[in-house]
Amino acid sequence: MSDFMQQALDSAAASSPPWLQDWQRAGRQRWNASPLPGRKTEHWKYSSLQSLQQSFARAEPGDVELAAAGIDLPDFDGPRLVFINGYYSPLQSACELPEGVSIVRFADADEEQSRRIRAHLGLATGRDEPLFTALNDAALAEGVFLEFAPGARLSQPVHVVWVSANQAQAFSINQRLLVLCGESSSASVIEHFAGGIGGQRSFTNGVTELLLQAGATLCHYRLQLEQEAALHIGRVQARLATNATLNSFHLALGSELKRVDLVVDFCGEGGHCEVNGVYLPRGREHIDYHTCIEHRVPNCTSSETFRGIVGDDATAVFNGRIHIHRDAQKTRAELNNRNLLTSTRAEVNTKPELEIYADDVQCAHGATVAQLDEQALHYLRSRGVSRTEGEVMLSFGFINEVIESVRSAALRDYLQPMLASRFARDPALVGQAS
Amino acid sequence: MSQEHIDRAINREYAAGFVSAIDSDTLAPGLDEEVIQFISQKKGEPDWLLEWRLEAYRGFRQMEEPKWAHVHYPPIDLNAVSYYSSPRSMKDGPKSLDEVDPQLLETYAKLGIPLHEQEMLAGVAVDAVFDSVSVATTFRGKLAEAGVIFCPISEAVHSHPELVRKYLGSVVPRKDNYYAALNSAVFSDGSFVYIPRGVRCPMELSTYFRINEARTGQFERTLIIADEGSHVSYLEGCTAPMRDENQLHAAVVELVALDGAQIKYSTVQNWYPGDAQGRGGIYNFVTKRGVAHRDAKISWTQVETGSAVTWKYPSCILRGDNSVGEFYSVALTNNFQQADTGTKMIHLGKNTRSTIISKGISAGDSSNAYRGLVRMSPKATGARNYTQCDSLLIGHRCAAHTFPYIESRNPSAVVEHEATTSKVSDDQLYLCQQRGLDAEKAVSMIVNGFCKEVFKELPMEFAVEAGKLLEVSLEGSVG
Repeated sequence: MSDFMQQALDSAAASSPPWLQDWQRAGRQRWNASPLPGRKTEHWKYSSLQSLQQSFARAEPGDVELAAAGIDLPDFDGPRLVFINGYYSPLQSACELPEGVSIVRFADADEEQSRRIRAHLGLATGRDEPLFTALNDAALAEGVFLEFAPGARLSQPVHVVWVSANQAQAFSINQRLLVLCGESSSASVIEHFAGGIGGQRSFTNGVTELLLQAGATLCHYRLQLEQEAALHIGRVQARLATNATLNSFHLALGSELKRVDLVVDFCGEGGHCEVNGVYLPRGREHIDYHTCIEHRVPNCTSSETFRGIVGDDATAVFNGRIHIHRDAQKTRAELNNRNLLTSTRAEVNTKPELEIYADDVQCAHGATVAQLDEQALHYLRSRGVSRTEGEVMLSFGFINEVIESVRSAALRDYLQPMLASRFARDPALVGQAS
Repeated sequence: MSQEHIDRAINREYAAGFVSAIDSDTLAPGLDEEVIQFISQKKGEPDWLLEWRLEAYRGFRQMEEPKWAHVHYPPIDLNAVSYYSSPRSMKDGPKSLDEVDPQLLETYAKLGIPLHEQEMLAGVAVDAVFDSVSVATTFRGKLAEAGVIFCPISEAVHSHPELVRKYLGSVVPRKDNYYAALNSAVFSDGSFVYIPRGVRCPMELSTYFRINEARTGQFERTLIIADEGSHVSYLEGCTAPMRDENQLHAAVVELVALDGAQIKYSTVQNWYPGDAQGRGGIYNFVTKRGVAHRDAKISWTQVETGSAVTWKYPSCILRGDNSVGEFYSVALTNNFQQADTGTKMIHLGKNTRSTIISKGISAGDSSNAYRGLVRMSPKATGARNYTQCDSLLIGHRCAAHTFPYIESRNPSAVVEHEATTSKVSDDQLYLCQQRGLDAEKAVSMIVNGFCKEVFKELPMEFAVEAGKLLEVSLEGSVG
């Protein structure tokens, strides 16, 4: 195994409670035993791990001005948890938790809490976990356990901020969030990644586990807004019990390597999940989304929409798999991926996959790659809208349909102006300049 | 046969022209360079071709069997295969239809195959067969008049070496993949077609007419060259189940459509799929690819109902500007059959267009996968692709998969892909049954409707037979 992570792993092991050390040892063993995936590995066919081939130090606690980093959600007064370089920052956090919500850091957990964490940690990722999840286990120190009590109904989302502060040399952040939604609870979580300002090289390896118990509803938003030099390999692993509903939203602005795996596991009948995503790489950025919806049981429904606009020399990869297991009858699953290419050097590789082992199902997927519709542009110009402006309107409209699916008004109000200004500012995203 | 025998066979003086008259001329199982030399010598091939085969074999030795396809089968022992067997005489076959498996005859009857054709297909040694041979001879005369060359590739090596040498391996390189390399090393025989400049081939060419060369063996090699502005339609296989003892089939088909030429290649494949318990059956690992130059068009149409395991991706390399690629496919699997099939459309030229229509039907315990690639290269300005793949599921133990790869590197290229999977709707079935059709008839009618878009691309008489073939293949999968 390549040893670019050894330094960070060694220092992680030193200062952890004993039960975590076991977890770290097991993860490290698996990590050391497996080779890094290359281009011949099907799941990494289009994403090179070349940029990881350097030494990463362990992240140190740092300080960041949140407002300057553009993280503040306007009109939002819900609970906020801020982690800087993976370390909890009580000063920046607004931690007045509503009733029915509890949060504990793995390192602070008392005996009862650590028992609960151990009972749930790794449930969603499963035994046969992927390589970077093993790495995450190996460096597990600053994990967070977020629990919504059975029947809890939250009006405001919980805003979890992962931000990186600059450091002398390239460093790695290990991020782990374990969310347990009790029976019939209803909640929202915003995971907000930012940092990499000023070309600071960092590598974030993030794992989020979502456990939805019977009848629970969770809206999960994952915003990856780090700058270009920040590398990110992330995984969201959700496990849905009977009648649970998951709303999952993803937004990624590019970096040299940004890879997210989303797995939704239906383990009880009557579940529903809706996945929406937007990716907007430009420059020499690379974004890779791999999603997999595992329909293991009958009577579940899923619908998935991803859209991307790819400019300059950027590449985008989308791989959306729907796996319907034997006897998962009465499943309905849909997937849609649409891409706009705005430069002659940009590249999109998309692969919507269906794997179906049951007959009484309705599945459909679609994928398109194209540039902006000339006829639509022509129509706008005939109404007196300039070409550039028309391109902005159409591009923004293209992704705004997905942004509209965000249920949290506070988040929508944050995203829409941010993206609109990004479009107006950045000609690469709105088609070739005329 | 021992090693000693092989040595003796290899070292034997080659005396009698390239067709051997010795009936028992089957090489012992095993594969090495000497076997290839033996095959080449037996066929009286020129040195360059022997060297070509050997080079392919050396490449093959470095390769590993591909494992990425969504099929499972026990490992194949390539050393247990015999790589040369001279055409056997008709005397080995059954003496009359009374000796033929009645189940086979029943199928023939359902497909509406005339009696003498049944005899031919079952390998019966009777005079009736010669009728067909004489039909074939008449056709040959007509083709020669138009300047079309249509002959076994082993013959073309001698009669038109310059064409064979120029184009053999130009589309599917010798070391393209594991089975293509194996085929290049040991290919037995196959068709060679050359259509001269500007000629529209006067009839549909069919392997079916090449009866005297019917036993081309398991490593078939086909090369079709359509010169500038020419047009040809080629039919491969037939709807009737064929008698075949070889379990592994690794064929290679190469199409070259020069500027403005059109090639339409239709396949109906109905080899032995194994019995209802999944025992036996043919492994069909085929590499088919065509290159379309400027303004040329290549169209693949396939109806795949046979074989235990199918692994086949007829592809188009759209090299020239304005070239067109088409792929129409119906793949039906029943019982324990497995199919992993699809196409590749590689858009290189400007304004290239491709259409992919794939219909997969899985029944019983079978597994049916569509695997396709659409690649828009940076130079494929204004290129267009439309892909539609639909799967129909019959029975709760079958599986249907879709793995479409889309790679686009040109903003002006438009790629559209859509896929659906569903079962035969209860409403449709109910409606048909209400009108007095039994369940099996109703399903076959619905399936035929599902495949209509592809069938209409087939030559007429093929289309009729294909419809009946689906009916027969689906038997026992309903109710």
